[in-house]
Amino acid sequence: MTARVTGQRFRQRKLSTKQNLVILREHEVEKLIDDDPARHVPKVETGVEKGEEGEHHLQAVISAAQAAAQSGGKIAQLYIPTPEAVASKLQYEDLYPKNFTQPATYIRYSSTVEDTIGCPYCMNSEDLAWLKAYNQRRDKRERCSEDEFEEVMNFFEETSQTKQPFAQVDNAPVLSFEDLQAEFDETISESSRRFAKDIYSHWKEQRLLKENHPLLPQLKFETNQETDDSDPYVCFRRREVRQVRKTRGRDAQVTEKIKKLRKELEDGRLLMHLVKRREVIIRDQLAHDKAIFEGRRALTESKRKLGIKGDDEELLVNQKKPAPKPKPRVDVAAVQRGIPGMGQKPPAVRPDGRLVDSDLVYLEDQLNKKSEAIDRFIEENLLKHKKWNVGWIDKTWRPITPPLEQAAAKSDFRPVFTSSQLPTPPASTSSAEGAGGPMEVDQPDKQLDLASRGTRIRYATPPEDVPFQEQTRYRRRIGRGGRIMVDRRGVKRPKLDAIDERVADRYRFDCDSSEDEQVYPVDYTDNLHIRYRIMIERQGDKTHAQQQQAAAAAAAAAMQNRRAIENHNRSSSGHLLPPTAPTG
Amino acid sequence: MAPRENSHEPSGTPVPLETGFATLATLRPGVKAFVEKDGETRKAEILTKQMRRGKMKFYVHYEDFNKRLDEWIDSERIDLTREVEWPAPEKPEKKKASSSSKKDAPSKADPKNLKRSRSKLDREISATPSESTSVNIPGKASRPSKASGKENKEVLVTSEVTDGTTPKPEDEEIDLVDVQDAAAAAKAAPEEVFSREEEIEKLRTGGSMTQNQTEISRVRNLDKIQMGKYEVEPWYFSPYPIDFATDAEMVYICEFCLSYFGEETSFNRHRMKCTLLHPPGNEIYRDDFVSFFEIDGRRQRTWCRNLCLLSKLFLDHKTLYYDVDPFLFYCMCIRDEHGCHLVGYFSKEKESAEGYNVACILTLPQYQRKGFGKLLIDFSYILSKREGKLGSPEKPLSDLGLLGYRAYWQETIVDLLLDGKVEANIEEIGFASAMTTNDVLHTLQNLNMLRYNKNQHVIVLTDAVVEQRERQKAKEKIKGKRSLDPEKLIWKPPVFSAASRTWNW
Repeated sequence: MTARVTGQRFRQRKLSTKQNLVILREHEVEKLIDDDPARHVPKVETGVEKGEEGEHHLQAVISAAQAAAQSGGKIAQLYIPTPEAVASKLQYEDLYPKNFTQPATYIRYSSTVEDTIGCPYCMNSEDLAWLKAYNQRRDKRERCSEDEFEEVMNFFEETSQTKQPFAQVDNAPVLSFEDLQAEFDETISESSRRFAKDIYSHWKEQRLLKENHPLLPQLKFETNQETDDSDPYVCFRRREVRQVRKTRGRDAQVTEKIKKLRKELEDGRLLMHLVKRREVIIRDQLAHDKAIFEGRRALTESKRKLGIKGDDEELLVNQKKPAPKPKPRVDVAAVQRGIPGMGQKPPAVRPDGRLVDSDLVYLEDQLNKKSEAIDRFIEENLLKHKKWNVGWIDKTWRPITPPLEQAAAKSDFRPVFTSSQLPTPPASTSSAEGAGGPMEVDQPDKQLDLASRGTRIRYATPPEDVPFQEQTRYRRRIGRGGRIMVDRRGVKRPKLDAIDERVADRYRFDCDSSEDEQVYPVDYTDNLHIRYRIMIERQGDKTHAQQQQAAAAAAAAAMQNRRAIENHNRSSSGHLLPPTAPTG
Repeated sequence: MAPRENSHEPSGTPVPLETGFATLATLRPGVKAFVEKDGETRKAEILTKQMRRGKMKFYVHYEDFNKRLDEWIDSERIDLTREVEWPAPEKPEKKKASSSSKKDAPSKADPKNLKRSRSKLDREISATPSESTSVNIPGKASRPSKASGKENKEVLVTSEVTDGTTPKPEDEEIDLVDVQDAAAAAKAAPEEVFSREEEIEKLRTGGSMTQNQTEISRVRNLDKIQMGKYEVEPWYFSPYPIDFATDAEMVYICEFCLSYFGEETSFNRHRMKCTLLHPPGNEIYRDDFVSFFEIDGRRQRTWCRNLCLLSKLFLDHKTLYYDVDPFLFYCMCIRDEHGCHLVGYFSKEKESAEGYNVACILTLPQYQRKGFGKLLIDFSYILSKREGKLGSPEKPLSDLGLLGYRAYWQETIVDLLLDGKVEANIEEIGFASAMTTNDVLHTLQNLNMLRYNKNQHVIVLTDAVVEQRERQKAKEKIKGKRSLDPEKLIWKPPVFSAASRTWNW
């Protein structure tokens, strides 16, 4: 595209359509010495058919325009000559009456040509001559109008088209009047039928003249014959439907779609049916109302006749209980304005019309109601769940999610201080009811136990004597599905200088290779396991307490500490992990 | 390649033209004679001849003139004092059979029969493509193709056509008239011979409405149409009912429903019944001057077919081979108390694979040279802007189409550049005008506005272009400017579901 005429002294950079180009006026451009403007005009694709591009008149106009673009001279007013269009001799006003009024809004229209042209058969001059002659022979009142004539002709044409669709091809004989008469239907009016027999003779004559072809000029559509393809008169062929690949998925999709359509149709039908029933009921009701009204009228009449007075209540139309009168509204602003000196007086009536004291809502009641509603909801759901599971054995772990631990969400890590190692860190909840988990049962006696053995547990406030960072802290959380997790922070591993490196290394080889590693799902927070571990701890504690109460206390504590850490690692992740350095 | 390759190569060894003097009796279709046209003598090819009211009339095509100027002439206008070019002889093996019998053929030609047989002979031709393509050679020789690249392709394609088929035995028995006419009609086949299958496949898949070249019927079939207040002379062939070609002197077309009638009585009757007053669709644009209606080819099949038949009279490269379903028609009307008079329209594919925003575009001849074409083009770009797409008209363009588009492109681009900006970028110009980058580039190049200055490309607003625009503006001031207001377009780009596409629109 950018390749210009050869012979340029420098190479041009390629033109990028995204690049900004400077717009200059002609005088701002440096003039090349050998600048021949015509030389620069590249050959541009015109988009005109190659065979026609060279046509005399087009070339004349193009070169004139080009000359104008180069030199700036006035373009010669050249036109490509076209055959003339001249004013018609027909009386336009008669043919096209002034019937159009433009609506204020844009026209929206969907009627088709067929809807708007009336009877498609338009009589020609021969028809007209025949009709004239025919009418002259007849009585004035029995004359056939042009519309009726066309109606009959159209009926004949359409009927033969449907009965002999291939009359053009297979030389079928013209239909007999009896055949046509048998097809009479609502499309042909009674008044026209009177003339049908007479018009038939004319129609047949015309039809025979045309070799039983349709009388109206027809477009040639495809007839699926070989000759179609090259016949320039055959037009508006149907395009083949694009073939869609058939797959099972598509079949299913289509079935679904059809089912859905069916359902929607049925719904629509049902709706219509119900609407109909409603309307019928309304009609009946109106009829009843009318009957009642008439009855009352009759009653009034007879009462009047018989001179019965009083107790006209039943004559009133559909008595209703008098509607409760709305309490007279007091205009608050008016009241306030009325007593200017008195300052702010509490309005007797609230803005919504109620008295101040009535229906006072207490927050407490509301809260109670709310929590009751929640409880009820949970209960209902539990019941529902049980009902669903009737006859089924629930093998899932903890099918019903326990309520969230509210306090846990708030509580953060809390330091705990022990003189000896805790078997399992206690829940860090501040209030007892917060720990609604599985530990609830054994926690109190465990704590008592520990307390009685002189274990010092301190909650909450960190001691002043130890720097905060170094304090050991634990947090218990309940995760999804009731898993209990214990996070720790600041757990320090005492230096194990006594242990040989190789011994310390042992844990690495403690497990099987990771390839055939099998994980047995064991819940370490299960009550059974917890109890078992506590048991072990206690035994250990006892022996240690007895044997080394004084001397080896420090060393034992260190060992246990390590074990405990390993335990924790196990409990949180399911299998053994190397003891990592404390995160604190 | 083909064994007959030589005979297909126009530039290789041009067949020596057989020239000589002719008499009226020996003039026959295919002969090129000198004919007086508007005071000058031009070479013209006789396409057909007919006895009309006792006089022999010739239908001629002037060389290097558009087909719309083809016409029926009296024999007096043919200059018999100059030599004529005889149509080149047939294929050697056929030569004897046809040329010997040809001598006395013209006198036998019965005009009525000739015309009737047309459709038949067209069938004949495509049934034996080998014959028609070879007959085509002389026509090619006189008009060497311009693009050499294309030429190679031609040969390739042609040989494809010819190789596969062997001439049918009954070729020998072709009616004399048919042979004659076949020669004439075969010339209708253009320089670029596409195989028919290819062409039709292109039509089917692309939804393109451009003319299938092999289908062109070279002789206009209608003499005159009456529409609204005008009588218009058709330019090209259109497949109106075949009865009109033989019987009707004038075809009457209802201005509103575009129905066609071969007789005034029928037309008058129709006008008494027809209630349509505007194109049967939704008005999507209205200003003081014109209205635009959007018509869906699928919903208004009859009306759109009528419109296509009508426009085919004035568009050479349009085909009515396939139906109107995949197109939308945007019809421009002017209004008065009688109704909305169709002035012009353009069709647009519902979904164009090539990104065309116009398929066919036409201002009716009775309204041409009044600036309506520019409005139509402008509207097509306003629609593209609303769609957020770039658009270009489908090719090939007609000569008038090319000029119209070039004028519009020039005006649009020059206006954008005169905005006072210092820099412009070709893609930006495209986005601002909904024109494709290619069209912008071509317009700039064509006007010599894209130049190389101080080692960079620059856009030059040449004095000529600026002056031209100024003159145009001055003219608009006097005459009043007709332009469209995008604000008045109430339109959302129509969306067609996958289902409607599957089910043939």
